[in-house]
Amino acid sequence: MKRFLQSRGVRKFRRNKLAMAALSVISIYMGVTMAILGFDLFTLSETSERVGPNTTPGFFQLSSPEKRLQDCEFYIDLVDSAMNRSNPEAAIRESPLAELTIASMPMEEREEKLDETWALYEEIADTENVDERPDLLPEIEKLETMTAALYRQPEGLAGKVYQFRRCLGTDRQGRSIMVRAVYSIKVAILIGLVTSLISVIFGSILGASAAFFGGWVDHIVIWLYSTFSSIPNLVLLTVLVYMFTGSTFDGTLIPVYAAFCMTFWIGPCRLIRGEVLKIRELEYVQAATALGFNRFYILLKHILPNTAHLMFINFSLLFIGAIKSEVILSFLGLGVKKGPSWGIMINQAGQEVINGFFWQIGAATVFMFVLVLCFNILTDALQDAFDPKHV
Amino acid sequence: MWAYIFRKLIYNIPIYLGIILLMMAALRVNDPIWAYLGKYANQERYDAFAHQTGLDQPFVVQYASFLKDVFQLNFSTESWDKPGVEVGAILKRAIVPSLALTVPALVITSVISICIGLLASFYRGSKIDQGLVILAVLGMSISFLVYIIIGQYFGAYWLNQKMETELFAIAGYEPGLLNWPRYCLLPVLISVIVAMGYDTRFYRAVMVEECTRDYITTAQAKGASRKKIMFVHMLKNAMIPIITRIMITLPFLITGSILLEWYFNIPGMGRTLLTAINAKDCPIIQVFTAMFAALLICTNILTDILYAVVDPRVRLS
Amino acid sequence: MRSIRNMSESAATSPTDHCDQAETVLEVRDLTTRFKTDQGVVTAVDKVSFELRASETLGIVGESGCGKTVTSKSIMRLLPEKISSIDPQSQIMFQGCNLALAKEKELRRIRGNKIAMIFQEPMTSLNPVFTIGWQIEESLKYHTKLNRKERHNRVLEMLRLVDIPNPEKRIWEYPHQLSGGMRQRVMIAIALCCEPDILIADEPTTALDVTIQSQILKLMEDLKKKLDTAIVLITHDLGVIAQVCDRVLVMYAGQVIEQGSVFDIFHSPRHPYTQALLESIPKSKQGQKVSRLPTIPGIVPSLHNLPAGCRFQDRCRYSEGICLRNNPDLTQDSNNSDIRWRCHFPLKQAH
Repeated sequence: MKRFLQSRGVRKFRRNKLAMAALSVISIYMGVTMAILGFDLFTLSETSERVGPNTTPGFFQLSSPEKRLQDCEFYIDLVDSAMNRSNPEAAIRESPLAELTIASMPMEEREEKLDETWALYEEIADTENVDERPDLLPEIEKLETMTAALYRQPEGLAGKVYQFRRCLGTDRQGRSIMVRAVYSIKVAILIGLVTSLISVIFGSILGASAAFFGGWVDHIVIWLYSTFSSIPNLVLLTVLVYMFTGSTFDGTLIPVYAAFCMTFWIGPCRLIRGEVLKIRELEYVQAATALGFNRFYILLKHILPNTAHLMFINFSLLFIGAIKSEVILSFLGLGVKKGPSWGIMINQAGQEVINGFFWQIGAATVFMFVLVLCFNILTDALQDAFDPKHV
Repeated sequence: MWAYIFRKLIYNIPIYLGIILLMMAALRVNDPIWAYLGKYANQERYDAFAHQTGLDQPFVVQYASFLKDVFQLNFSTESWDKPGVEVGAILKRAIVPSLALTVPALVITSVISICIGLLASFYRGSKIDQGLVILAVLGMSISFLVYIIIGQYFGAYWLNQKMETELFAIAGYEPGLLNWPRYCLLPVLISVIVAMGYDTRFYRAVMVEECTRDYITTAQAKGASRKKIMFVHMLKNAMIPIITRIMITLPFLITGSILLEWYFNIPGMGRTLLTAINAKDCPIIQVFTAMFAALLICTNILTDILYAVVDPRVRLS
Repeated sequence: MRSIRNMSESAATSPTDHCDQAETVLEVRDLTTRFKTDQGVVTAVDKVSFELRASETLGIVGESGCGKTVTSKSIMRLLPEKISSIDPQSQIMFQGCNLALAKEKELRRIRGNKIAMIFQEPMTSLNPVFTIGWQIEESLKYHTKLNRKERHNRVLEMLRLVDIPNPEKRIWEYPHQLSGGMRQRVMIAIALCCEPDILIADEPTTALDVTIQSQILKLMEDLKKKLDTAIVLITHDLGVIAQVCDRVLVMYAGQVIEQGSVFDIFHSPRHPYTQALLESIPKSKQGQKVSRLPTIPGIVPSLHNLPAGCRFQDRCRYSEGICLRNNPDLTQDSNNSDIRWRCHFPLKQAH
């Protein structure tokens, strides 16, 4: 291990500044995953919690006047319906929008304020074509301040958290895009990590033993990967996912893991087999065989460590593949079923894009883009450092 | 040469048998009849349905009869979801839209990306080359879905609003060559743009590798111009990796066309397959996967033949 | 043999070609070639000067990495421009044109037509996907106005000339169907099909079997006589030099260290390196006990950190204080300007 860390490839890799930057971004993603898994940074229920009106833009940008009016109506209506409940006090105390709560004040005062706000709203809403009446803007602003007065704006840490939730806007069900996008990191990293790890290990062992032992082992392995690789990837994935529908695993990530592992092992298997075929003919392996070492010992001690670089490259490649495939499967409704994922977000965003709302698709794309880009850079750097002749 | 082709055909038969076996087994892991009838069906209904569809027979018998059907191209089994309709008829209807999408995409992508790859390798190390490489990596990092959604928005909504005519349909499909640009051009363009990033990068690497070969120096020493070296010496040698690449991209192309068909509502093989999976329509899934696999096997054989045509060294082995 | 020179378009541009036998056809002055590497710029060829006379064979000899190949490729300007540069002060004069500064278009007219080259590796130097007939024909296409039929005949003629049996059949074969020796013959045919003035052979026999080696060398000698071509033969094998060359250039670490006729170099070397090289040739005299072959101790200095003084200092058995400080200049013999050496203490002449 120490020898490996001091090898020329590793030194070349560590000199590559871009790759180091990519690696640190990836570790930030990993850190977020750990935080979600270990410390409940966000829970699954938080991702489906309503934090504001539907489809509000991010970075606290202003929407069109029409939409601003609708948002005010949403806020006012929320207070109104709480007031009409059998126990208004309790309804008001229950926080309707995450950290944003209805301001505590005497009942009469609130009622009075509510009526005033309603009145102003009606007045503005009665005019037609609000979007084309710039003279109404001050009125709308006044309405907004009045609406805000009905609420107690969260302060301190809670305020920061609320701002964080709202900073990329909300989707069609008023859920926080930011929280959903961040939570999806966990899904993506988990799927990438589990499937590429299992695939690389499984594929490498299969490929190495095929090449090393030859004969019928080799024939079976070749037949196996030819078979699997002769089915279009997505078709195989969909059928494998179909295999699990209705079973006890339905709804968990296990069908996705299984389907990915069963398709992804082919790449490493083929590559490692080729490499081991080459290494097997090298002098030092011949020497070890001639000296009478155990064949498994030679495979484990002399051959597999020399294919480590290929495993790393493949791991990185498969990670990208897993993330992308997860998004596609979720998009088709076959992948992640509970909770958000970038694929699900992009799928939902399809409808919003038609209405010119790009925040959800943008968020999912950017989060995914950064991660995949980093892995692409990492793969290139690994290839440059360890396998420069590879095309 | 014929012996070579024959050998390749023989070699692929056990692989195809394996695919059918794998697919049929995968479809039966989770009882397809219960999945189709739902949890609340009774046992009688189940037995009747199983008998009617032949699913009560032993697996080996089912396997043999399906193999017979496939090799005779006889798909007269009925769809479960659409009773009375033969799977063969559904397949026939779905093939043309799929081809209308994939074939142009494959041709356009290959031609453009080979040219860009040559260009990048020719100017390698320069600003143009670096720019192309960076663009390719950036393009590769964006999900296919985003291209589809954004492509549809700008190609079909935004452009239509600007031009005030309907250039591209938002979704849908109508047969006929004249309708092709309206329904298929946009999906094909999206597919080309997506594939370009991967392919350009690959072809550039191949060409750069080819540049360092000894015979390039020989050609230079003969007084060949750079154009001759690039398009005659290098390109013919690069044909092997190019053919391999086109073959490798085919499954991705199918994936892409499935997504495009799904999103643009084009009734091709991919969309039919996905609908069948959602409807748990087992006969359609079985036949369509067998067809997809047959398509891939055929291209494998075709690739091997092309190798032999392009590279004189292959014919011997 | 029928000359195609009359038909070729270049005929008119080279009136001075065959006038004077002793005339210089190629003159290299202060050729300096540098490479950009990860560890900085290195000078692979350092102020190499020599001239090549019409129809002579000039040998360039030296250990691997001494700059022989770079010299030859610099003359043809075949080095990749991205990583290498020829010093603008360098002069490679050929028919009144400085190849070191020539434009790509001019170079193309000369390459393969006036100056041709054979490479070390016959296995990879031929394009694997074209027939050998096509590959020989290619340079005829670029440099002559022959039509298809004439070109075909010319290719057959060339294959016969390089002693390839059954040329009508071979013309349609691919490189992988030929043996190494045959491929090198094809390379020679490619190089000579336009009847160049100069043939640069970069270790043409290194990769071949010993028996094939002598065949190829003999072929080159025969063809030289037939076609009247001047040859630059690059090799690390002094035996090859003795067999075919008229004059010799000895290179060490990017510099010419000794120059002279084959007779001079072999009988009275002046540089200790040449002497050591000659001593390391196995000699078989009958009745003599086989003793251990002398070798030169040490290794060639790395081009990245060359010593301040003479580049041969740490391997030289005569090295003294001055050798560590000054790199000697190339000295000319007072009687014969052809004999030059680069040493503070040239060896005494055997008379």
